[in-house]
Amino acid sequence: MSGVASEPIIRLENVSRVYDTGKVQVPALLDVDLEVADGEFLAIVGPSGSGKSTMMNILGCLDRPTSGRYILDSNPVDELDDDGLAYLRSRSIGFVFQSYNLLPRTSALENVAAPLLYQGVSRKERLRRAQAALERLGLADRVGHVPSELSGGQQQRVGIARALVTEPALLLADEPTGNLDSHSGAEVLELFKDLHSLGRTIVLITHDLDVAQAADRAVHLRDGRLQDAVPA
Amino acid sequence: MKITDLIGLAFSRLGTGKMRAALTMLGVIIGVASVVALVSVAQGATKGISDRLQSLGTNLLTVSPGFTTTGATRGGFGTATTLTVDDATALAQLDGVQAIAPELTSNKLVIAGTQNETARVVGTTPGYLSVFAYDMWVGSFLNQASVDHNLRVAVIGATTADNLSLTETSVGSTIFIGGLPFNLIGILQPKGGTTSTDDQVLIPLSTARQLFVGSNSVSAIGVSAANQDVISTVSAEITATLEQRHGITTGVDDFSIATQAQLLGTVSGVSDTLTLLLAGIASISLLVGGIGIMNIMLVSVRERTREIGIRKAIGARGRDILSQFLVEALALSLAGGLIGVGLGVVASYGIGVYAGWGFVFNPVTVVVAVLFSLIVGIVFGVWPASQAARLDPVVALRYE
Repeated sequence: MSGVASEPIIRLENVSRVYDTGKVQVPALLDVDLEVADGEFLAIVGPSGSGKSTMMNILGCLDRPTSGRYILDSNPVDELDDDGLAYLRSRSIGFVFQSYNLLPRTSALENVAAPLLYQGVSRKERLRRAQAALERLGLADRVGHVPSELSGGQQQRVGIARALVTEPALLLADEPTGNLDSHSGAEVLELFKDLHSLGRTIVLITHDLDVAQAADRAVHLRDGRLQDAVPA
Repeated sequence: MKITDLIGLAFSRLGTGKMRAALTMLGVIIGVASVVALVSVAQGATKGISDRLQSLGTNLLTVSPGFTTTGATRGGFGTATTLTVDDATALAQLDGVQAIAPELTSNKLVIAGTQNETARVVGTTPGYLSVFAYDMWVGSFLNQASVDHNLRVAVIGATTADNLSLTETSVGSTIFIGGLPFNLIGILQPKGGTTSTDDQVLIPLSTARQLFVGSNSVSAIGVSAANQDVISTVSAEITATLEQRHGITTGVDDFSIATQAQLLGTVSGVSDTLTLLLAGIASISLLVGGIGIMNIMLVSVRERTREIGIRKAIGARGRDILSQFLVEALALSLAGGLIGVGLGVVASYGIGVYAGWGFVFNPVTVVVAVLFSLIVGIVFGVWPASQAARLDPVVALRYE
């Protein structure tokens, strides 16, 4: 699904997201322009309340911009309906969440296999690919464990395996180290660097400047506006 | 998503909450079990009644005399005295007629020893035994000689025998009918019917005519057809014969013919209504069971909001979520339906054996009950499932 070499994976043009609370209009993102090239590792840094979550929702196709254009992997996101967004999430995006968001009471293997369910992959093939993804992340001996039996670092690696199992164009991580101790956090960041070196496009959203150091490039979000891009 | 994947999801989910799943299914189980059991009871009861009716002789036609008109008042059928012994003799000659039994009935005081009772006294012929499908318990039935020679012999029904304290040792003793002495020659097997089929005294037709009625008319003629297939033919023959004998050309007959088939038809009509009524009552519990499923599914959607958010984030469309929850509701209702059918069949077997009509199993009821439980699952599963499908993934992912 990757675009032409010159085409960026992400292109935001003049994107705003305004929440309508009935009486007042609350702008969460204002006139954001952003491009992320194929194979780039970008950090979006901002304090809480800066519009990070909104940015994550827009980039992750969980939400649509109120105005502006968003092109993801050559698809015009702002023109798609709910099923279209679901299709993009299924094919083009792999999410890594701060709180892992694994399905409870479900084995690591089934968790990692779940995204393939919505691509219509056969069960046998789903389990084979999930097994391979877990093995790549060093979790071969944990496939049958449910999330409550895994450490935070292990759960996050299961989460990353789930994000990678569909070979998405974009890996979108929202504070992936936020719930981890410094050692596990460092491991996860190393993992991202490895994935980046293998050519994966990664967008990392964080409030932590140290975490942002792992990326090639960081942009700063403040009060819903993107500040000058600074090389990391 | 493939249907096998949906079923897999549903069962892995229900497997993690077995107690809740069982309790949710209970409503449907009870509903379906009561539908199956009550319908089976209704049909069993019908079968019991039909069996008894058939024990009276399925090939039986009863010919009754017509009505009399006194002034402007029309009497009921049987009030006329238009049927005669000669009519009966003529009917016996018809094709397809196996046996006939004319009946000359009057109520008389019957005395045996110190006991007495007013009983239905029927003058008839030896054909009576086969026409009305009676069996002898002890002694012998009326024979042709007793009819030919106006013998004072009597055969009594089982209930009459009980009422008069007569037992097998009483055969050969003398009883008094209408003040006249009769030799008791036999006692009938009880039939156990609801009508007074066991409460009667049978004496030779000629004797009854001579002693009690003094005329040539009979109150009814029982005709036994050779088999069930010729009943309508025999009925037509009887009509033609009697019209000819009575000189009727106007089309208004002075007699009527009733068959057991007509009676059976009435019974089955009543039983259909009864079955429908019971099934309707039982369906209410199925409805309540469906509401139980809806309730649990709504709770489940609320509890699993975050799971729904996760599933949407990793690519599930609204309709994937909808089908997942719908299949869960269907699995609950269908499993409940199947268990209910099992319990219902066991219950109807137990009731059938206890009540004595045996086991009545109707596959149609089972199929309908299972289909109905599926419909319950769809109807009461759709709303919770569409609630789940409509959840906004952003909100659902943040839900604690």
